[in-house]
Amino acid sequence: MTWLPASYRRRLPLSLSIAAVATAVLMASALGLQTLKNLREDQGRNALRLGHAMSDVLVQALRHDDVWLAYSLLRGPEREASDATWVLVDELGRVFASNRPARYRVDQPLAEALPWLDAADIGADAGPSGELVGRARLEPIEAGIGWPADADQDRPRRFLRLPLASEGTEVGELIALLSDAPFLSRFFEVLEGGFLVTFGVLAVLLPLGWLWGRRMAAPLATLAECMRRAGEGDLRSVECPVPQGESEIGQLGQRFQEMVAALAEKQDLEQHMLKFERLAAVGRVAAGVAHEINNPLGGMLMAIDTFRRRQPADPRTGQLLDLLDRGLQQIQHAVSALLVEARLDSRPLTPQDLEDVRTLAQPKSGDPEAALVWDNGLAGPLPLPANLVRQLLLNLMLNALKAVEPGGRVAVQIAPDLGVLSMLVENTGEPMPHDRLDRLFEPYPSRRPDRQGLGLWVCYQICSQLGGTIEAQARDGITRLRVRLPIGEGPIHD
Amino acid sequence: MNQLNRRVFTRFALAATVGLGCGVSASTSPLRFGLTPVILDDRIAFLREWGVWLSAHLGRPVSFVQRSRYREILDLLLRGGLDLAWICGYPYVQHRSELSLIAVPRFQGQPLYRSYIVVAADSSFGSLEDLKGGLFAWSDPDSNSGYLYPRYRLTQLGQDPDRYFQRTFFAWGHRHCVEAVAEGLADGAAVDGYVWDTLALREPALAGRTRVVLRSPQFGFPPLVGAPGLPSGDVDALRRVLLAQEGDEAGRRLLGELNLDGFAAEGPGLFGDIAHMAEVLNGAGRP
Repeated sequence: MTWLPASYRRRLPLSLSIAAVATAVLMASALGLQTLKNLREDQGRNALRLGHAMSDVLVQALRHDDVWLAYSLLRGPEREASDATWVLVDELGRVFASNRPARYRVDQPLAEALPWLDAADIGADAGPSGELVGRARLEPIEAGIGWPADADQDRPRRFLRLPLASEGTEVGELIALLSDAPFLSRFFEVLEGGFLVTFGVLAVLLPLGWLWGRRMAAPLATLAECMRRAGEGDLRSVECPVPQGESEIGQLGQRFQEMVAALAEKQDLEQHMLKFERLAAVGRVAAGVAHEINNPLGGMLMAIDTFRRRQPADPRTGQLLDLLDRGLQQIQHAVSALLVEARLDSRPLTPQDLEDVRTLAQPKSGDPEAALVWDNGLAGPLPLPANLVRQLLLNLMLNALKAVEPGGRVAVQIAPDLGVLSMLVENTGEPMPHDRLDRLFEPYPSRRPDRQGLGLWVCYQICSQLGGTIEAQARDGITRLRVRLPIGEGPIHD
Repeated sequence: MNQLNRRVFTRFALAATVGLGCGVSASTSPLRFGLTPVILDDRIAFLREWGVWLSAHLGRPVSFVQRSRYREILDLLLRGGLDLAWICGYPYVQHRSELSLIAVPRFQGQPLYRSYIVVAADSSFGSLEDLKGGLFAWSDPDSNSGYLYPRYRLTQLGQDPDRYFQRTFFAWGHRHCVEAVAEGLADGAAVDGYVWDTLALREPALAGRTRVVLRSPQFGFPPLVGAPGLPSGDVDALRRVLLAQEGDEAGRRLLGELNLDGFAAEGPGLFGDIAHMAEVLNGAGRP
């Protein structure tokens, strides 16, 4: 089937067209053949009837040896348009008369005139008297049984043998040679009409079939295109108008959508896991490094302090010690920022803690014109470490206030809800690019180390320690950070 | 036919009442005129006109009686079923003692005609000798041109006319003979030369498919003869009307239809040749 086009968009209409044409041609041919058969049968019947009608006079002509009488009867009223070739044979098996006298000459032996005809038949089985007329036979002439090639155009297809009897005695035989020529033109007219009608119907059916085929194939093509895109790129970006409905193709489309959704979910999960793993690894490294630095750092600070207390230092040494002390303290400060630990001595979170954060954050706002929408839904204390939550919220707010555009808006929404404390911080402004969102919680991102320090990384660490989640979204010009902390976990001491 | 007779009769009756009749013969019974295929007798409209013309000039209705075989007309004529008939010279000479000769048509200026032997135009036959062993059509056993002459000719050639051809048949009429040859039913045929010439004028498509290979000497033209009992007054009246036909305008037109010039009064001696041939072939035995 290589000659068929590969695409069903063409294949289906083409197949329909081929089927329609084939059906039409077969129908027309079958009708034509049936018509031909009917016409031939009619011709045979008519010849038989005519033969019977002429038989009495022909018998008389044979008995009176009146060639002219037989001839004038056989040639009939229409000499040129005669339906059949008639040959009257006498009882000796010789041509007595014919309506084609030049071809079948008077007195010509039948074996010579019609060599293919079994001349021995004549008179061989005369049978009971009076039944001879009933023995007329119509038989097809088989092709190539000695029929001369030159007569091919008017070649007889069938012959009729009608024994002629007078008072029970056979006196001769009337033979009719029937060809298709008399009705062939009529037959071709019928055939032509049939084909015209057929092609007229086809002219209507084919475009319809073509359209229908395309409509049937279109959903498949859409689906194929969707699959190609799904295989190529991001599953979430595949927006596919897959066919709907109860049909097999509709079901296929539905299953495909479900599959794409499942795949997209899996992909999301994998990416999330990957990010989480990365952040966790970074956190472990940072904590380890911080611990490793903190221990000797504490010793060094302790040593400087001890040295100062033991002996008064001259002004130069004092200056040097101050310098060392400040430098080491800077290091300690920096390292402690990396090390976020749940302190065992934390007290529970109160609504006032959150209001403090609001107060602290506002003066630091880089842009005083930005509006702050504050919604603190916390009514009473919650068993969450207060200083960690304060640091978390402060970092988030500072970030948001830093990112908001002039005249923009920062909204904070805090709400305890079914064992979860939900904090939403959002700001308007230039939306964060996708790749940055992905690496938002990593410390010191390579792109803009100056603007983003450890703030969000610390937030992430706090959330992780408290068993909660933090996620960032950027949509419709709003950057949104949502924190969800489970209430009642972690050691809280009043 | 009855209708025709009635019409003819009415016309005559009308003519008689206005005194057009010339006072000849008081009889008003129709004259029965027998026709044979010595002329082209298949033209009904022409025959009606001629009948009307004859009736008007004779002062008597004329009815035509047609038969396909000479023998039937001759039988009718001899048994009193006809008053006059147009027959061939051959039956006339056989019965000339009983029949009265009314008139003989003039064809191409003379009361004479010939017998033709015709073959198919596209055949290779060139003479009567070529037709030996072939299929031959006679016109009528009582025809001079279509039977008697060709048989006489063969006898003169030392041949037996009954064995010369492989097969012969009668086509009952000169026109049929021409058709039989044209269609290939017969290789050759003997026909009335006058009929063939007339056919060549009237129906060249048919006559053109045949070719004349032998023209006989001239014989007396088929005559119009009166029945044995026909009163001499009727014979005279008929002869006068027929001889006067070429002088009448309508009569001339009708003669033109027949391809004849007119009628002549001839004696039985005109048919001496035919009588001789009949004697040679039949002996003198026939009445």
